[in-house]
Amino acid sequence: MQEVVVHPGSIDEALASRGARAEVPPPRLGEIVLPSRTLSPAQRMEIYQRMYPLRMEEALEIDYPTLKAFLGESGFRRFVREYVASFPSRSYTLNRLGDHVPEFLRTARGLRHRAFCHDLARLELAMTEVFDEVETPALSAAAVGAVPADAWPSLRLRPIAAFRLLELRYPVNAYLQAVRDGARRRRPRRQDGWLAVFRRSYRVRRLELSRPAYRLLSDLASGVPLGEAVVAAARRRGPASAGQTQLYRWFREWMKNGVFMGLEGLEPSTNRL
Amino acid sequence: MLASHPPAPRVFALNKWNFPDLGIGVGLRTVHFGHILAKRPSVDWFEVLSENFMDTGGHPLWVLDQVAERYPIALHGVSMSIGSTDPLDREYLRKLKALAARTRAHWVSDHLCWTGVAGRNVHDLLPMPYNEEALRHTAARVRQVSEILERPLVLENPSSYVEFASSTMTEWDFLSRLALEADCGLLLDVNNVYVSSFNHGFDPRTYIDGVPADRVVQYHVAGHTNKGTHILDTHSDHAVAEVWELFARSCRRTGNVSTLYEWDEDIPDFATLHDEALKARAYREEPARRPARFARGA
Repeated sequence: MQEVVVHPGSIDEALASRGARAEVPPPRLGEIVLPSRTLSPAQRMEIYQRMYPLRMEEALEIDYPTLKAFLGESGFRRFVREYVASFPSRSYTLNRLGDHVPEFLRTARGLRHRAFCHDLARLELAMTEVFDEVETPALSAAAVGAVPADAWPSLRLRPIAAFRLLELRYPVNAYLQAVRDGARRRRPRRQDGWLAVFRRSYRVRRLELSRPAYRLLSDLASGVPLGEAVVAAARRRGPASAGQTQLYRWFREWMKNGVFMGLEGLEPSTNRL
Repeated sequence: MLASHPPAPRVFALNKWNFPDLGIGVGLRTVHFGHILAKRPSVDWFEVLSENFMDTGGHPLWVLDQVAERYPIALHGVSMSIGSTDPLDREYLRKLKALAARTRAHWVSDHLCWTGVAGRNVHDLLPMPYNEEALRHTAARVRQVSEILERPLVLENPSSYVEFASSTMTEWDFLSRLALEADCGLLLDVNNVYVSSFNHGFDPRTYIDGVPADRVVQYHVAGHTNKGTHILDTHSDHAVAEVWELFARSCRRTGNVSTLYEWDEDIPDFATLHDEALKARAYREEPARRPARFARGA
């Protein structure tokens, strides 16, 4: 029955598919499924088969509304059909159905603006992940104030769980916002961008970053001690370098947005946080 | 209206575990979160879709915590796949148990169905053949789940569009024997009884009268979509009079049991939903006729 339900073709094609035939040859369907007063066994099976793609589409539309806006109704339906054939649900929850969408789009054949769609899916997946992450308290100003000045260089700043960093090749954040606002959408055009996606007060937020800010945040998120990360940021040449004033602004903004949850590496005697 | 049929015998049967009659509840749905938190409507209880809250640490879980502080909760799932031949998903059951503890859920329910095999999940409530082999298989799994959850599992009769030639008993006979052999409770969905009776051509009153009354711990009432040749269980409308009649008939056997109105598609505003649920009052038993333990809400 499952082979028939998940088949993307017509009910006749589904019943004649190799998987279905291995279980029940089409002429013998009536020996397995009874007819009703009004429907043949095949028509009864078709009820389940028709509902399956609708349910998959509904689930993916919740997580990828902007991708759907970009692909259009029929394009999105085609994408869903091909995607669930490659990555069927293996979880008890439909919330995980879309986890492989970026991976699928990266190599999807025959898809126009594939790289743009890939970036867009990465952004929407990051937003979904951040939405569902466990809540972790943000680092308070009091905790920061309690750190001795000489302890800072060796400290590691740990980001909150609901935090993702994205390096993008297309301006998908602006596109997503334009879709939400009902504004005119620009044609996909290559443009590098950097983004932090995080949750604050149970709302998913998106913060556009400069490249040097992104690199510094990446270093910190991967556990590089603060002093080492700051020195690296200051030494970088070209567009990735950062001055002291800029560093101060960045940290102020990140603290204000609550993207850090803890400090690691304090000496036991000073670990009063 | 349903054609003439002998009235159901008036048999009050306290449910086996003495689960309380929580009254008339509705499903907790995302579109109503704001209204529920802001207005604190006078709903008796909420049914929570387990899978919607098992893997989130964000806003939905925060809302659920607030709701569980103020209202009684029962958990209702769609993914246990109790009839499947795949092994039980231990991780799923662990999370379900944790959610039940977190919300102080009065009971945990799912459906008599399977949702997939060979590791796949089609996320539909697929029908089972009703025969001795399936009964033995399902009863063993229900007992396993009850042991893991450390509470009796409650199973709902599904609506279905297919019947199997290998079935040797009716759905209500299967459910009745399952309830006794696996010691589980029943969530009797009277709309599902009606939908399946139309699709398969049996008298829904025979079904209602054939279920062991002392195992019924919850009711579902819902709307459906009649396509002419068959009825789809869409939960997208008001319940038809025949469904309410079945509900009243069953209440005469079970006494008042926790009742929930399901509305999952084209969900209306909260007041409309709650008004539809409260129609159940007209069909439930008068409190004076209830057994004493029900009257006290024990």
